Amino acid sequence: MEKNELQVETPSVLKQSSCQNIRGFDCVDCENGNDHSRLGNATSDKESKKESVASSENTKLDGQDIVISIPPMTSLSAFSLSLPSSPSGLHIGQTKLVVQQEKCRNTNQNNPANLNPQVARQKQFRSQPILVAEGTKRKLVRSETMRDSRFDPFKTWLGKLERQISNLRGMPTEEEDLEAGETKRHETEEAPGVDRYFDALEGPELDTLRATEVSVLPEDEKWPFLLRFPVNAFGMCLGVSSQAILWKTLDTSPVMSFLHISPMPNLILWWASLVLMVFVSFLYLLKIVFYFEAVKREYHHPVRANFFFAPWIACLFLSLGVPPSIAANLQPIIWYILMAPLFLFELKIYGQWMSGGQRRLSKVANPSNQLSIIGNFIGALLGANMGLKEGPIFFFAVGLAHYMVLFVTLYQRLPTNATLPKELHPVFFLFVAPPSVACMAWAKIQGDFDHGAKILYFIALFLYMSLAVRVNFFRGFRFSLSWWAYTFPMTGASIATIKYTMAVTNIFTRSLSLCLCAISTLTISTLLVYTIIHAFVLRDLFPNDISIAITKKKPKFSKMLAHFRSSSSDRKDIDSSISKGLEI
Amino acid sequence: METDSQKQNEKPHQSNNSTDLQIMKRDCLNKETTSRLSLLTKFHAGYFRISFALCGQALLWKTLRELSTDARALRPFVHILPSTAFILLWSLAFLSFLTLCLLYIARCLTRFESVRAEFQHHVGMNYLFAPWIAGLLLLQSTPFLGPPNRAYILLWWILSLPIIALDIKIYGQWFTRGKKFLSMVANPTSHLSVIGNLVATRAAAEMGGKEIALCLFSLGMVHYVVLFVTLYQRFLGSNSLPVMLRPVFFLFFAAPSMASLAWRSIVSSFDTACKMLFFLSLFLFASLVSRPTLFKRSMRKFSVAWWAYSFPLTVLALAATEYAQENE
Repeated sequence: MEKNELQVETPSVLKQSSCQNIRGFDCVDCENGNDHSRLGNATSDKESKKESVASSENTKLDGQDIVISIPPMTSLSAFSLSLPSSPSGLHIGQTKLVVQQEKCRNTNQNNPANLNPQVARQKQFRSQPILVAEGTKRKLVRSETMRDSRFDPFKTWLGKLERQISNLRGMPTEEEDLEAGETKRHETEEAPGVDRYFDALEGPELDTLRATEVSVLPEDEKWPFLLRFPVNAFGMCLGVSSQAILWKTLDTSPVMSFLHISPMPNLILWWASLVLMVFVSFLYLLKIVFYFEAVKREYHHPVRANFFFAPWIACLFLSLGVPPSIAANLQPIIWYILMAPLFLFELKIYGQWMSGGQRRLSKVANPSNQLSIIGNFIGALLGANMGLKEGPIFFFAVGLAHYMVLFVTLYQRLPTNATLPKELHPVFFLFVAPPSVACMAWAKIQGDFDHGAKILYFIALFLYMSLAVRVNFFRGFRFSLSWWAYTFPMTGASIATIKYTMAVTNIFTRSLSLCLCAISTLTISTLLVYTIIHAFVLRDLFPNDISIAITKKKPKFSKMLAHFRSSSSDRKDIDSSISKGLEI
Repeated sequence: METDSQKQNEKPHQSNNSTDLQIMKRDCLNKETTSRLSLLTKFHAGYFRISFALCGQALLWKTLRELSTDARALRPFVHILPSTAFILLWSLAFLSFLTLCLLYIARCLTRFESVRAEFQHHVGMNYLFAPWIAGLLLLQSTPFLGPPNRAYILLWWILSLPIIALDIKIYGQWFTRGKKFLSMVANPTSHLSVIGNLVATRAAAEMGGKEIALCLFSLGMVHYVVLFVTLYQRFLGSNSLPVMLRPVFFLFFAAPSMASLAWRSIVSSFDTACKMLFFLSLFLFASLVSRPTLFKRSMRKFSVAWWAYSFPLTVLALAATEYAQENE
């Protein structure tokens, strides 16, 4: 740590920004800097009365942050300090303690003689960009020597470990954070209601922040990697493991033997998907451990909640795609272990649909809900493969009933449904998945590819065709990691076609299966190339995950205006955004 | 009682609301006169839940007693229920059914406006099916009257014709009559119309009328599909049903269980379709039971709606018994 870097230049932004309009928001008179009452929560409340929403969020997110500024001689430069205080009132004492240890960093370039000695000895951090009364705060440059505590609201108590570690490494002590963390935590226990997600976000996957909304985390900077790691990443595992199943089917089915596929692709892909699955699960576990608040917010997101099924579905895919050389027959106990969490998730999600209220289906239905349905059918397929009898029928029945409901709802495009994208988007490929896996499951349960299976297969084929001829409309979307999740329906349709070819063998079905397999392999390879480019060349594979950073309450209109004034958008954008804000 | 007062509160846009208030006022005035009249005031079709519960129980006991003794796991049940206990239960069910019917006829005669108002309500209109369903259940569980008996067939026709007539009226209303579109009136008690069809199916199949059974079954199932989707969508949210009536959510899994039983009686074996329907109702049961907060508010005070818990559970038990027997 650069302890010699005691004189850090005040960021230019702070020099310019004046807090005259928000007297006291970011500038506590330094004479009262010792006043214990002002250090408490009430202070920030009182001072930011003008921006009451901001202050409530302030207290919610930043705990008892206090901001102290040192008024210089002429103007009031907003020199902001953030010192999370403790509710127990030990703050001052600790501060003094810290001061003794001389770990303070003076970022004030103003005449030190003017400083209140107490304040001067207090620890000084760079200010936390509290919420957005002043957009200029966004442009603060992060000092490399400071531990960034902006993301603390999203951290769990285990994040304390990180602080301890950073303490040991000689970074500024964060004892105050330990107490503040607890108070912050109880404020962030409630995730935003589902209405907030709809109001604040837009786009087919509800991942773009509306112009009238503000984010609780800084938008201009790269967040910590774990915060940027969405649950959609499991879509990659889905895509790769379904490819493994495809190549296994190509290898083992007699109708496709004219291709002379070797078992190698299946083996390689299966090992690759296993490694990927372990890796992604490990990273997401870390996210749960360190940023539980972010995980909770993802869970309450209407679209992302469905991706929580993805890990289990990927595990089911892995079990389905096991190369024969590794394990010919899997133990049924694996099926029970894998289906139990799926069952519990389903109880929760379908029950939410049924009991009405905030998360009823007419309100939150979106194509990603089909991810929850697919788990049933794949579980049924795996169970039937293993020889189980009743379990597969159970999950098939549940899946079929709820698929019917969801299918009708999505087709209806109810006016109360806010999430359905107005234009085509790769997410629509998810429509192909349930019928194709249901057809395979039913064929396996019944023993042969009977009428029921054929009906389901034709439905899947029709949906695939109707989307394939519209492939032009899929252009122009920004690549995102969730596209991987939309490729496995194509693979599923190819596998279903192979099974159908096994039942009805003629030149047409063979060529159809060849064609579909080629398309799916091509798509996956293209996606792989895109992913590699974005990951290593463009380095934006994991952009800031805005959808978890929405505020709990709608920002007040005056704040929105301030946000626009400070941002560098041109007049037209501001006007359109304001008009949008008025509409909402 | 709770449906009466809450119906006044819940549907302010009903056209005959003023009539309701007048009736309530008049009824309140009349309350001081005789106790018999006040009983009729408080009485409403929801009380038929009591006879549902009892008749369903009687049917369950009868089924348990008549299990083939090959079913090793169920053999203890066969011996646990002495025939006298069963006959007592059946008599109790019969008595309750008779009493409720008489009370309701009396109410029709003396308070016809309130009866009419009740049946225009989106919850009350489904209880039109109530007496006929209870009667059919009772018929099926009669210890001394078997299917080949002419009296049985006659009684079946007497009880099923009103169900068919009501089907035509209510299902037609679902998609033709403006104020009573399904999306507006759908609520869990709408399952009663479906259950009515299915109970009639089972009774018909047992007496040999396969075609009639199939006809009623298809009618019931088609409308069940529509109703299932609509209710899952919850267009109106959970505030279309008063809190005290939350126990009727149990009807969600009564319908598939009844469908499973009906299909079983048509095809005479518990095949895959029956299993799927049974599993669906098991899942819905698990889903409701794992949400105790949904029912917390309705459990604060006793009300007749609590009887709504019993019949669905009985039907689920019946379906489970058939399933167990099949798997032996």
